[in-house]
Amino acid sequence: MGSLIIRSNDIVHKVYIWDGRSGCCSDDPRLSVDRLPLAGGGMSSPQSTPNDLVCKGMPQSIVVERCAKVDIVVLVMPGVSCDIRLDVRLAGEGAEANIYGAYVCGGKEKVKISVDMRHDVPHCNSRQLFKGIAGGDSRVDFYGKITVAQDAQKTEAYQENHNLLLSDGAKVDTKPQLEIYADDVKCSHGATIGRLNEEEQFYMRSRGISLEDAKVLQMISFIAPVLEHVEDEARREHASSELETAIRNVVRNL
Amino acid sequence: MNDILLKIEGLRASVEDKEILKGVDLTIRKGEIHAVMGPNGAGKSTLSAVLAGKPQFTVTAGTIEFMGRDLLAMSPEERAWAGIFLSFQYPVEIPGVTITNFMKTAVNAHRAGKGLEPLKAGDFLKLMREKMAFVQMKPEFAKREVNVGFSGGEKKRNEIFQMAMLDPTLAILDETDSGLDVDALRIVANGVNALHTPEKAAIVITHYQRLLDYIVPDVVHILKDGKIVKTAGRELVAEIEEKGYDNL
Repeated sequence: MGSLIIRSNDIVHKVYIWDGRSGCCSDDPRLSVDRLPLAGGGMSSPQSTPNDLVCKGMPQSIVVERCAKVDIVVLVMPGVSCDIRLDVRLAGEGAEANIYGAYVCGGKEKVKISVDMRHDVPHCNSRQLFKGIAGGDSRVDFYGKITVAQDAQKTEAYQENHNLLLSDGAKVDTKPQLEIYADDVKCSHGATIGRLNEEEQFYMRSRGISLEDAKVLQMISFIAPVLEHVEDEARREHASSELETAIRNVVRNL
Repeated sequence: MNDILLKIEGLRASVEDKEILKGVDLTIRKGEIHAVMGPNGAGKSTLSAVLAGKPQFTVTAGTIEFMGRDLLAMSPEERAWAGIFLSFQYPVEIPGVTITNFMKTAVNAHRAGKGLEPLKAGDFLKLMREKMAFVQMKPEFAKREVNVGFSGGEKKRNEIFQMAMLDPTLAILDETDSGLDVDALRIVANGVNALHTPEKAAIVITHYQRLLDYIVPDVVHILKDGKIVKTAGRELVAEIEEKGYDNL
């Protein structure tokens, strides 16, 4: 539960995958090896205490200094319950933080994500984009906050959380919050909860695409705007194919 | 009688408990092009949606046989595999799905239905390029998201491109002329005509004569208040243009 300090003028890009098989996360470029153990060494089993759901490898707080930039991509695979907390402080002028996250839940997962984005100084940019799919009896809680301090003029801060609800048993709670004490800023937040579009499904089926494949395509395209921020192409392809397999399993169990 | 492709008998269909089709009979043979004309609200689009298997419509009576099979027992995708294609009046936008990905999935689903291996990437791209050129779509459209931000004409050309890729036995063109300028209309009509063979058939659904100047029908039906009230040869088109639907 360390903190990550991005020094002036540094650019840092991190990918954290919360994986169903190992219950761990990793920002290792090879993804499939050296997965980091969960704090307490526990798996994300139903018996886990909340502390077990916090990943050692992923920082809980990030400080971005002058003219530094951080891009974080977090992917939560099906079968994983987690409690992701991320406090980001934009501490030097010209700092930029972009946090992208996606989650796919098809069973009894409890996914909790809270992001606290603090703009302390002027001329900083931040963006949060979280997109997720909730099926089965899963439960998603998203809490996202943007705080802009009185001195932090010329701030640009955006936050979005979009959800697809696949079943009546699933529940999504999304609480976006803005606390703005400066007057010359551009800030926005948006949250949606929707269902798979049936007109799209019929259009695809009329072209011979099976209902199952149509749903998989819809879900992958829903998550894609998060995935595209994984910079390295090989890593992106790998993550994308893992997600596709996971999504297909979720669709089969609908 | 084995030249019959489609046989509709006593078809009644509803949407949300409102009956739209009130007993439609229609027989289409190989090689024929049928026009279904009629005023707004007559049930033209419902007929095409029911043929393609749109789940929101309920068939309450009647039968549809396609190449000897019970069409109403088949899912929309099974109908597509069997050779039915619907060109949508309002093609649906699918954000995030590129035309390439969409068509690759569709073409390979059709091939799987026939017990064939997926097309090799190179062969698929070659086929795409060829069929896009056929409807004068620029190659860069392959990377665009399906119908997202397309003009009316681009959407309709995309429909005919998909039709060319899937090579259906029965094409149903639902108001394909709506929203088209003359140039786009000609491209679309030429596409449909070029794909037509003595083994195939088409149903052209339209409100106006315009499209039928380019795609010349063998048989013309007038659909009014959920029923076919008149069937004749292509001369009926001119008669409607002159007298309107009210005086039939």
